[in-house]
Amino acid sequence: MSDAPALVVENLSLAIGPAGLVDGVGFQVAPGEVMAIVGESGCGKSVTAQAIMRLLPDAIRQTGGRILLGGRDISAIPERAMRAVRGQLMSMIFQEPQAALDPLTTVGSQIAEALRQPLGRVRGEVLRMLRDVGISDPERRIDQHPFELSGGMCQRIMIASALISRPAVLIADEPTTALDVTIQAQILDLLRRLAIERQTAVVLITHDMGVVADIADRVAVMYAGRIAEAGPTAEIFAAPRHPYTALLLASIPRLSDVPKSKLAVIEGRVPSPSEYGPGCRFASRCPRADARCAAETPPLRPLGDGRLTACFHAEAMA
Amino acid sequence: MNTLEITGLKVHFPGRGGAPVRAVDGVSLSIAPGETLGLVGESGCGKSTVSNATVGLLSPTEGSVKVLGTELAGASRETLRAIRAKAQMVFQDPVTSLNPRMTIGEAVGEPLLVRGLARGAALREQVGALLEEVGLRADHASRYPHQFSGGQRQRIVIARALALRPALLVCDEPVSALDVSVRAQILNLLVELQARHGMSTLFVSHDLAVVRHVCDRVAVMYLGRIVELAPRDELYSEPRHPYTKALLAAVPEPDPVTQRAKPRVPLEGEIPSPANPPPGCRFHTRCPLAIDRCRVEEPAWRPVGAAMVACHLV
Repeated sequence: MSDAPALVVENLSLAIGPAGLVDGVGFQVAPGEVMAIVGESGCGKSVTAQAIMRLLPDAIRQTGGRILLGGRDISAIPERAMRAVRGQLMSMIFQEPQAALDPLTTVGSQIAEALRQPLGRVRGEVLRMLRDVGISDPERRIDQHPFELSGGMCQRIMIASALISRPAVLIADEPTTALDVTIQAQILDLLRRLAIERQTAVVLITHDMGVVADIADRVAVMYAGRIAEAGPTAEIFAAPRHPYTALLLASIPRLSDVPKSKLAVIEGRVPSPSEYGPGCRFASRCPRADARCAAETPPLRPLGDGRLTACFHAEAMA
Repeated sequence: MNTLEITGLKVHFPGRGGAPVRAVDGVSLSIAPGETLGLVGESGCGKSTVSNATVGLLSPTEGSVKVLGTELAGASRETLRAIRAKAQMVFQDPVTSLNPRMTIGEAVGEPLLVRGLARGAALREQVGALLEEVGLRADHASRYPHQFSGGQRQRIVIARALALRPALLVCDEPVSALDVSVRAQILNLLVELQARHGMSTLFVSHDLAVVRHVCDRVAVMYLGRIVELAPRDELYSEPRHPYTKALLAAVPEPDPVTQRAKPRVPLEGEIPSPANPPPGCRFHTRCPLAIDRCRVEEPAWRPVGAAMVACHLV
């Protein structure tokens, strides 16, 4: 993973009307690496993914920053050129595979479409891809429609169609949230294996710290449109240095905790974009907040162990 | 007397192709006073159907559901109405559980008002006390649901469920629609209320870590049946049924060190349709240990140590 990054997001800012949604988000992903963006509803993780794919709803504008794919800034290229990027250099899979697949087209034709070829010409390649994503009996499945398949199988089809053109980057937006745990485990194993085998850089959008712990090499924790903390998954989980990360981790019931014991609670609620003040957006809920936190935005700064933390009190958290 | 006693419960629905969908197909369980029983399983296993039958929202095709000794199967409307006062339900989605045109005071006070238990100043006082009990303020009573966050709305739903001081609380995925940090608040509240009032709880969830956190005993369902029922610590430290083992192995734990060292129990394939369950043990099509006997002979429901298990190989 010492190669040049496949994807670099620099200082990305997004806004809806006058309200900022995402503020200065940046990260990079190397080939074969899984980078998770984790956070609660409204933190900006999904719009960040949409911005990378240039699939933002009309009301949301990119107000700053660059998105470099293989070194080229794609954030301002014309939509025509972007169409060649999507599906070829960069693909996306979604939470609801059944909704994302075309109900009237056979599975095989949908996967072939990603190669911009009729199925007849690439049938062998599609069958190989189906086998590679763990579809049993691919000879039969290739001619079936999405409604004939379970949710887990549809997600495998989505992954097949996203990866068959060997894109450099895969954006996976909550890819296992709609699936049962035993199926989720299968899909996560599959994503990890394919990322390594095909050297795909994966951006995984999720709310689930368990999913992050399972497959992410690195993680960025987002809160209210900003990155609170980012770095290697092992370091962040072992010793969170942002109070939000620490509280979030402590609030999750674990198989190892004391049953019925009190879980850590984050008081209050996430501010909406119109309520963002000049300081740290977590300050109103933070047990460590002081006057400076309310007045001044803490910069996302390196702490020397490969991580970045946006908190004035990061040293005291150690 | 047990608060809840379910014996041989079957709930079948008419199927599209003629064969009935056997959503629940022979479930027996009981909940003692003050006890919390967790019911876990994946989508389509029948756990929500069991919880709906428990509060009389669905009538059993066969079998018996008794709340505080009173039979719900075939009960008259008056009996069902009386039982619903004793068995209250909290659903997954707090947004659709509340009428947007009712103030939360009206919503929480409604069970007391319609049963003629309180009105006027006495009602307002009780509603205020209920709101405070779930961590809201008495003066919130005049506001509408849209003025509250998801977590606060689930508190309101819980306050309404508590209004009649039920003996049994049925919670169907009560925290699944909530963000992680809010989930912790609601779980803390449920544990606290349970300790204070000593009510029995049927806690339905797909999340094994959440169930472990709040429950005393746990039943694992697969395709309309319970495959294992055991005291919490027993079930989590020594799962016996291969499905329980696979479920536990599949829970992604929020700790990269434990999670990555965990042995994988890969379950092949998908859950079969409840309209056409496999013969023999229903889990045999996905079970890594299945032998010929599992494909033809239904395993008996029998005690093994402190647990009850349905598996030939345990």
